[in-house]
Amino acid sequence: MIWMVLLFPLLGALLNGFLLPRRSKLLSHGVAVAAVAGAFACACCVFLEFFATRHSHLYFGFNWLQAGKFTAPFELVVDQLSGLMILIITGIGTLIHIYAGGYMKEEVTTYRFFAYLNLFVFMMLLLVLGNNLLVMFVGWEGVGLCSYLLIGYWFQEEANAKAGMKAFLVNRIGDIGFLIGIFLTYKHFGTVSFSELSSWMNLMPTLAEPYPKALFWITLSFFIGACGKSAQLPLYVWLPDAMAGPTPVSALIHAATMVTAGIFMMTRLSFFFYAAPDTMLIVACVGALTALFAATIALVQTDIKKVLAYSTVSQLGYMVLACGVGAFDAGVFHLLTHACFKALLFLGAGSVIFAMHHEQDMRRMGGLRKHLPITHGVMLVGVLAIIGVPGFSGFFSKDEILWKAFIFPTYGPILWGIGFLAAGCTAFYMVRLLCLTFYGTPYQDKSAHHHHHPHETPWYMWGPLVVLALLSIGVGYLGVPDFLAHLVGGHNLFAHYLEGLIYIPASAQGAWGHLHAEHAHELEWGLMLSSVALVTLAAGTAVFCYTNRPVRGVASFLGGHFPRLHQLLLDKYRVDECYQRKIVTPLAEISTFLWQVVDVRVINGCVNWVGYLLMGTSGIASFRMTGSLHRYGFWVLAGTVCVLIISCF
Amino acid sequence: MSAMVPIEHSLILAFLLFFIGAAGVLIRRNLITVLMSIELMLNSANLLFVAASRQVGNVEGQVMMSFVILIAACEAAIGLAMVIAIFRRYGNIKTEFLRALRG
Repeated sequence: MIWMVLLFPLLGALLNGFLLPRRSKLLSHGVAVAAVAGAFACACCVFLEFFATRHSHLYFGFNWLQAGKFTAPFELVVDQLSGLMILIITGIGTLIHIYAGGYMKEEVTTYRFFAYLNLFVFMMLLLVLGNNLLVMFVGWEGVGLCSYLLIGYWFQEEANAKAGMKAFLVNRIGDIGFLIGIFLTYKHFGTVSFSELSSWMNLMPTLAEPYPKALFWITLSFFIGACGKSAQLPLYVWLPDAMAGPTPVSALIHAATMVTAGIFMMTRLSFFFYAAPDTMLIVACVGALTALFAATIALVQTDIKKVLAYSTVSQLGYMVLACGVGAFDAGVFHLLTHACFKALLFLGAGSVIFAMHHEQDMRRMGGLRKHLPITHGVMLVGVLAIIGVPGFSGFFSKDEILWKAFIFPTYGPILWGIGFLAAGCTAFYMVRLLCLTFYGTPYQDKSAHHHHHPHETPWYMWGPLVVLALLSIGVGYLGVPDFLAHLVGGHNLFAHYLEGLIYIPASAQGAWGHLHAEHAHELEWGLMLSSVALVTLAAGTAVFCYTNRPVRGVASFLGGHFPRLHQLLLDKYRVDECYQRKIVTPLAEISTFLWQVVDVRVINGCVNWVGYLLMGTSGIASFRMTGSLHRYGFWVLAGTVCVLIISCF
Repeated sequence: MSAMVPIEHSLILAFLLFFIGAAGVLIRRNLITVLMSIELMLNSANLLFVAASRQVGNVEGQVMMSFVILIAACEAAIGLAMVIAIFRRYGNIKTEFLRALRG
């Protein structure tokens, strides 16, 4: 059964890629949806089978790599984490595949799109199911490749092709970290299998040198890998540009699944991370800073997809923060809720863009609530979920993360404060997005050309949105924090579910005692109420500022009085320009130097000079080579005679 | 049975034939003449074989001579074929045009 989960998307990709090109679009779409839906059905069976016993199960495929003592079998594992992930990937994947058929209706090469999309699902499943670092790495690179192909799907425009390359290259930097992590792991532990590493760490009561130091470097390398994939500072720059791809791609790859691979990988290796507290502090700081940094940029962006992209970076920052403070279960829970509501928001934005004939600038929208009632409804749910309104899924997951950050012994309240501010920013920019798009007066096009009225999308586009909206409310109740669940006599189901998987290794128990210590519930209530208050305040401000045109009130006041700050945010802190100036240009100059001077002049020069020298001097030796057959014959004869004469005496 | 030709006579004749052939190879500019001169050198060797065979009194030399004639026939066929090929390529069979070996 587990193999069917992998086989279906691969078959779909092969069919669409090689057999179906230039046939009916409906057939391409049907095959792609059937492949992912089939995988989802199988994944459900696999998950239920696992859930009945809750014992992780290994599936041995074949012996893939063997060299000396090193072995890397092609082996899959189904446990709490990968079971959940395959449900997310195939479930949300199916919804997005259905939606994509409508969104990509006007495309000529839909088969190419669906082939890439199915291949992506296959690679992502490989990533989460692999039982060793190498199988995971294959998936890791595979999803990177598919991301590149899909960002550059409309490659006829140079900007899109460049965005694809940027994503690929920035990810390579992270991949180097991941690779070094794999090498170091093998060097110190002699295996790359998760189950073996996990039991090794579990059985060690104390870690002697060199392990603590080695673990610091190993986890740091893996974290660099996670930074690349999960778009953390300083490698987040590719994700906003990745919005050049079609919107369903942004929903599936750049919001729900691929970008969470870094969080998934860190959770898989949580036993390493727990044993390296120094790395954990770095992870927590990077996560918190990313959450705030990206949220501030999102405050002023005008492209609807760019806002969502920065919001994704910010939410990923929350997940990384959760990992950093040791609350891997909260991180994975936020991954789950975020996958639902961010896919919903992206698809909703896609519907808006679709209805507006590929207009992405929010300043040219407005008043769409009347024309797109269903899209408006589901977007409203998505926004309420992401900003953390009580009762919606984002509330439970984000609150859990902020609480775990607060009780973190090192800089805990500071980390909480950064996350708290980011939550306020989130509420502001998401409500701003909603207001600019759906409320207020419709944008009046000054130019003469006549606009069509935007229409609600067909059922197979809003259907998935409704399902995702229900999920965005529902999944939150899987992980109600303990102190709230106690009110009705329950406990945090999600944390309980992950308990068997995420454990603190014996050697690191001391450093993480606070996670299980008792805390005053009043404090938890206080933090929760204060974040609800902040969210209400920020959302209210946004409503006040943006429902009527022209934009008035606080936002224009701030924009007018702090023009340089406003411009800095609009320019996204000029990080791209800085990278261009400090890294890309010097690198290009060094490369040009190596090419034009070192290669062309020095290396080519040396080789050519040797050649010229030989050609020049060979004339001295070859003056006897006249080419005259008679002369050659004469010398042969003369030589023979000489030999005879000498041999006679 | 007539009187035996002394071996010295055969030797001198073979020697003369060989040097006439060698001189032909070295001096003549026409490829066909060069081939004929080579035949002459081969035949001088044949003469030597036969004379020696008779002097020693067994037939090994004569067997050798038959082989040489056989090989010479083959060589002539191949040589002439090459001459024709050269003629087609260069338009004549003068040796001074064959200078591809010049360094």
